[in-house]
Amino acid sequence: MKKIFEIALGILAAIGGFVDIGDIVFNTVAGALFQYQLLWAVVIGVGAIITYSEMCGRVAVVSQRAAFDAVRERLGFGVGLLALVAGQLVNLLTLAAEIGGIALALQLLAGLPFRVLLVIAVLAMGLVIWAMPFEWIERVFGYIGLALLVFAVGAIKLHPDWGGVASGFVPHADTSDLAVYLFFVVGLLGAATVPYEVYFYSSGAIEERWTPKDLGINKANAIIGYSLGGLLSFALMITAAELFYPREISPETLGSVGLGANVPLGEIGLLLALIGILFAVSGAAIDTAFSGAYNLAQFFGWEWGKYRTAVEAPRFTLAWMVMLILGFLIVVTGVDPIQVTEYSVIFSVVALPATYIPILLVANDRAYMGNYANGGVANVFGIFYLVVILVVAVAAIPLMIISNMGQG
Amino acid sequence: MSGPVDLALGILDHQLLDSEGRRCGNVDDLELERVREGDPRVEAILAGPPVWRGRGAIGRLAAALARGRTVRVPWSEVEKVDSGVRLKQPAEAYGLGRGDTRARKLVAWIPGAER
Repeated sequence: MKKIFEIALGILAAIGGFVDIGDIVFNTVAGALFQYQLLWAVVIGVGAIITYSEMCGRVAVVSQRAAFDAVRERLGFGVGLLALVAGQLVNLLTLAAEIGGIALALQLLAGLPFRVLLVIAVLAMGLVIWAMPFEWIERVFGYIGLALLVFAVGAIKLHPDWGGVASGFVPHADTSDLAVYLFFVVGLLGAATVPYEVYFYSSGAIEERWTPKDLGINKANAIIGYSLGGLLSFALMITAAELFYPREISPETLGSVGLGANVPLGEIGLLLALIGILFAVSGAAIDTAFSGAYNLAQFFGWEWGKYRTAVEAPRFTLAWMVMLILGFLIVVTGVDPIQVTEYSVIFSVVALPATYIPILLVANDRAYMGNYANGGVANVFGIFYLVVILVVAVAAIPLMIISNMGQG
Repeated sequence: MSGPVDLALGILDHQLLDSEGRRCGNVDDLELERVREGDPRVEAILAGPPVWRGRGAIGRLAAALARGRTVRVPWSEVEKVDSGVRLKQPAEAYGLGRGDTRARKLVAWIPGAER
């Protein structure tokens, strides 16, 4: 019974932790522009993140190697270093976007100037990481992020055309502007699979000292948690499809995302939506800052982990602090956080294969994994999603240029 | 150690762990002997930024940008090889983990740093 309870708690945290600023932006704009047509892209993105999270969690538990340990061991120093630089640039851009998202949500809740809220956001994140134990951080932000379920209630209350919703799960393009459509396919895939999730997930398995006994929890968190997290993405897209698509409005602000809960559910809906966004995005910011520190420490062999004290892992500690400060410096320049989000998601797709390939290689290596090496199912999905990600990674930048960042 | 080990995949770029289980660097390169005689042996593990020079063009660039010393750990100091390369003594005995020693001063003053 206690075991089931524990698994359920982990899954809940995974659901609330799934959505970040990239998912919020891309799902909402995709719904506004293409109604339900792009739901299928979310399914593929969620499938990819489930497959590779499960795999890298298993690799971490069995071989005690987190993501960038595997990257360096398999790609060697030179190519590994390129993967590190690409991964860190994407992490930094993602972190800047999340910090901007926190400040935007705070602005809608409290109404202070944006730059003041940025300072508050970064200080709060730093304090939380410094003071809270690892397990708490994951849980607290995941649970309160579940307030985003208000969008699922909102989506149902808006009475979507369910037949149309169902047809959105079958890939088809009913549009005059194929480049913009494909740009959003890339964006939705990228938003669901941002690399920090894999980095964080694998190091998290070591932080929480999982053993092969916990592989069931690993599988449940990845499969159930992320599928249900994907439902939140559907809900965001469907509410946007109901509210904005018929009126040909393109939601450009976080406030208009909140309308998806405000219109069907009133003030309380809006409040829950903003709290959900605030905590989901804050959780993502923390995960991203940690990911940056994990990657550096693993590549260069430094002591790392929140289970170590700051004195025991000082370079790791300095690394997440520097990540937070750099992320802050990017958004405080006055760039539009929503645009930073879009760029971070598109570039993250480009960097993704450098993480997925070493994980797939190590997961298949029996010298590391013994009987826990990939079976047929994990390999079929692993190779399928790797091919998809490779295609998307190659297409991402050209599509970004041709579609003028999805503006047509 | 028993059984054959693939040096390139099984040792190179792996984590170094000291006698207290602390992570204290990576195997940046290996010093081999008797290669010409056809009976190669690992003499020592090499770690530290100057060693990256031997790791291709990107390694040379990284070595030029980074500061630090070469640390040479004789292979006889290796306790065992599992998820990492475990050494027989604390990191300080080899001069490993000096970056963490320097960085420690920067965080140690903050309340709660030892918790």
